[in-house]
Amino acid sequence: MVFSSLAFLYGFLPLCVLLYYATRVMAIRNLTLLLFSYLFYAWGEPFWVLLLAFSSVFDYANGLLIAKFRGTWKAKAVMVGSVLVNFGMLAAFKYGGFIYDNINLLISLPFPRPEVDLPIGISFYTFQTVSYTLDVYRNEVKAQKNFVAFMMFVSMFPQLVAGPIVRYNAVESQLLQRDFNWDRIWSGVNRFAFGLFKKVFVANATGALVAKYLEGSLMNLTAPDAWIGIALFSIQLYFDFSGYSDMAIGLARMFGFELEENFRHPYAAISVADFYRRWHISLGRFFRDYVYIPLGGNRRMQDRNIFVVWALTGLWHGASWNFVMWGLYFGVFMLIEKYSMPVLNKTPRVLKHIYTLILIVFSRSIFYYVDFGQLKEFWRHLFYGRSYLSEAMVMDLYNHAFLLVLAVLLCIPWDEIFPQAGEKWKPVYKWISLPVALAMVAVSTVLLVGDTYNPFIYFRF
Amino acid sequence: MRISGIYSVLAGLIFVAIPAVMIGGEQESISLEEKRKLAEWPDFRWDDWVSGAYGSGVDAYFDDHLPGRNAVIRWADGVKWAWGLHPAVREHKVLVKPAKREQIDTSGGDSARMNYLQDFDESYSGEMLIIDGAVFTQNSGNPAMSPAFAKMLNEYAEKLAGHTRVFSCVAPLSSAFIPVQKYRRYYQRNKATLDAIRDHLDGPLFCDVLGEMTARQDQKLFFGSDHHWTARGAYGGYAAFCKAAGFAPVPLEQMQRKVKTGFLGSLYALTRDASVRDHADTFEYFKPRVEASAVRFGESGLDHPIKSSVFCDGFQGSSCYMTFICGDAPLVKISTGVKNGKKAAVVKNSMGNAFSVYLVSHYEEIWVFDFRYSKHVMLDIIAQEEIDDLIFALGMYGAMSSGTIHMMRKLGEGGVGMRPRPVHNDTAPVPPAAPNRDSSAILVPQIVPQSQDTNGQ
Repeated sequence: MVFSSLAFLYGFLPLCVLLYYATRVMAIRNLTLLLFSYLFYAWGEPFWVLLLAFSSVFDYANGLLIAKFRGTWKAKAVMVGSVLVNFGMLAAFKYGGFIYDNINLLISLPFPRPEVDLPIGISFYTFQTVSYTLDVYRNEVKAQKNFVAFMMFVSMFPQLVAGPIVRYNAVESQLLQRDFNWDRIWSGVNRFAFGLFKKVFVANATGALVAKYLEGSLMNLTAPDAWIGIALFSIQLYFDFSGYSDMAIGLARMFGFELEENFRHPYAAISVADFYRRWHISLGRFFRDYVYIPLGGNRRMQDRNIFVVWALTGLWHGASWNFVMWGLYFGVFMLIEKYSMPVLNKTPRVLKHIYTLILIVFSRSIFYYVDFGQLKEFWRHLFYGRSYLSEAMVMDLYNHAFLLVLAVLLCIPWDEIFPQAGEKWKPVYKWISLPVALAMVAVSTVLLVGDTYNPFIYFRF
Repeated sequence: MRISGIYSVLAGLIFVAIPAVMIGGEQESISLEEKRKLAEWPDFRWDDWVSGAYGSGVDAYFDDHLPGRNAVIRWADGVKWAWGLHPAVREHKVLVKPAKREQIDTSGGDSARMNYLQDFDESYSGEMLIIDGAVFTQNSGNPAMSPAFAKMLNEYAEKLAGHTRVFSCVAPLSSAFIPVQKYRRYYQRNKATLDAIRDHLDGPLFCDVLGEMTARQDQKLFFGSDHHWTARGAYGGYAAFCKAAGFAPVPLEQMQRKVKTGFLGSLYALTRDASVRDHADTFEYFKPRVEASAVRFGESGLDHPIKSSVFCDGFQGSSCYMTFICGDAPLVKISTGVKNGKKAAVVKNSMGNAFSVYLVSHYEEIWVFDFRYSKHVMLDIIAQEEIDDLIFALGMYGAMSSGTIHMMRKLGEGGVGMRPRPVHNDTAPVPPAAPNRDSSAILVPQIVPQSQDTNGQ
């Protein structure tokens, strides 16, 4: 099930909220949320519920075992076992075909390629359970004894299939005790409405344009077409993913949870490093805490650590050398920025911003074309294509000017530019928030009718 | 309670009220605007649940039964249009998805209304061109497919030789008449496709429909919101047939003109484009001043005729095109007051509906077979009823698909064979229908005495 479907908006969600708040008993509320989360996951992929349940039960037990054997080799063995099984699961389901293809290139394998559909959200919940086990092992959090609460931590539907990757310590205190707070609930409704609007109004509409430029035969693509197409995809990707994260954070608030932010105006970044402090923050934090710092961080072999982290970040996004290349591409620029810091510091902000945007937009091509042959063909058009502006492109930009201007406005970090304005206008906004939220939901609903196939791009990861 | 509490409760009530109205309100089963059957709440089956089909079914139900859905869709068109609308932009292209065929009733049945919904051709998916609120397909035929269609007609001509003339009256696509010079190439491709049919005919007579329509291109020949030709466009087809058959067409001025307004047809349903909605078609039609009645039959057999009509004046709105022979049916028999003993059979898709009604001025009986639904043994009916002319009157989509050509060929299977029959005294002799290699040659059809028939009868 997806958030931006009418069945979710007007069936699943109201029923879940009604039943959740029908009781004041936290254990029953948690059970309600857990059951609805499994229903949510099972809607499109009932079979893979078993995998989700296994992952949850397995790491619930591992947490308890690590706590029990703390300080002994057994605790370490359980931790290692957990990491191996979790990543083994990820390798089997996500990277099985990729691994097979590469080994098959070297030695012809005597068995056919494993064809397994990627279970939705496996990259997200696997990282959550691994981070939990590691945190328990490091004694940074206590093992959760309440089975339902732990199951809910792994499978809570707001963040189950596309993140943010929730660290256990961020929600530990909320699993068994959540205050009832109208302000939080209402801010959750607002945040959800805004995310829905971003997804349906901006991402879906931009996606239709993207398909026009980047899908199918690239034969007639001019260089401006290619640049516009990939820039539009950058907009689509941001509004699609950040819209989902907004909805996840909003939904969680409706049930009393406070999740960490996953985006902070990434297209306002002034360097690649800055961009990844603003984009998919929860993933960056995972790799920082569990890969970069244990490898030595800034203190030991930083260059190697950067490359390892970015190769893994690329691989996390998909089982393809393109994604690895995409990760290394950023690794290279991270290093360039590191060694050219004195120059960068003196560069005007606007130039740094343009430089960052060009690199980011270009990198989306590696992200879009999983097939390397197609990618090469696209690059050929991007750099050596005919340079005239096609009539169709001008017409598209003209026709969609409102949408594109709106997208750009929504990318600007107004709260950073006018930090005082937020507080000043907060009381006013509070009064108008109902019509604003309802308008966003209404517009989104209207656009969804008759066009409900709108899966999230990050589902494939 | 604080303002956030009041707002939360209000928002919650709205979110609960919508599904409540959805469940408690009146349930529509068909969307006439979108020309499709609306999704029903799926029956729960374990297999469906495991495959995800149950979830998809519920999703589809919510999508189809939102309260005030038609109004919401119109608003959606407005919102989408608002992103791109500018008075200076008169021409744009829209990508449309294939029709939700799985939701279309395929039971056949006797509902003319649902048959009409089935008429929509999946070839209409792809890119559509919208100019001044009129939708044009960018499909323009395929000369490579023409020989297959011509071959099927040749087989009919061979089977019916000496008894029944066979006519090819294929209508061009709307792309032939896009009123912008740069799209002239589509006209050429339509022409090449139809010319290729003509060039491969060996026996059947060719109706130069494109030529006759081109002569009338100052008139509105295709609807802007629907994939069918207008009554004036169909008149071009009728005029072309008359030339091929040796008849004088009845001028439109001698017919009774009727008009309906607010027609939004299949292409509006497909594109949901606001400019199309704002340019709803005027549905104009012409009734020959000839007494005529009609009955329709189910998909096989002739035992249970259902009273019908040549014109159903009552259809309005998105159903206007069903005015012609009351929409599609497997077989319609029209009886007229023209007591000349002549009979025709028409093999058609829905394009043939607007064409068939003009034939009442020339035949005593007209049997209209819809090749998509009819399972009748057409050759038996042609033999028993002593049909003089067999006319294939259809839109080019039907002639360009191996699937539809197969359906037309199937109509000719299973017959007991042609029997000798006397020639009507008051009709032109039936010619062996020499092939037409040049459309200009059709202007004066060759009428060959039956005694010269190669069968020697």
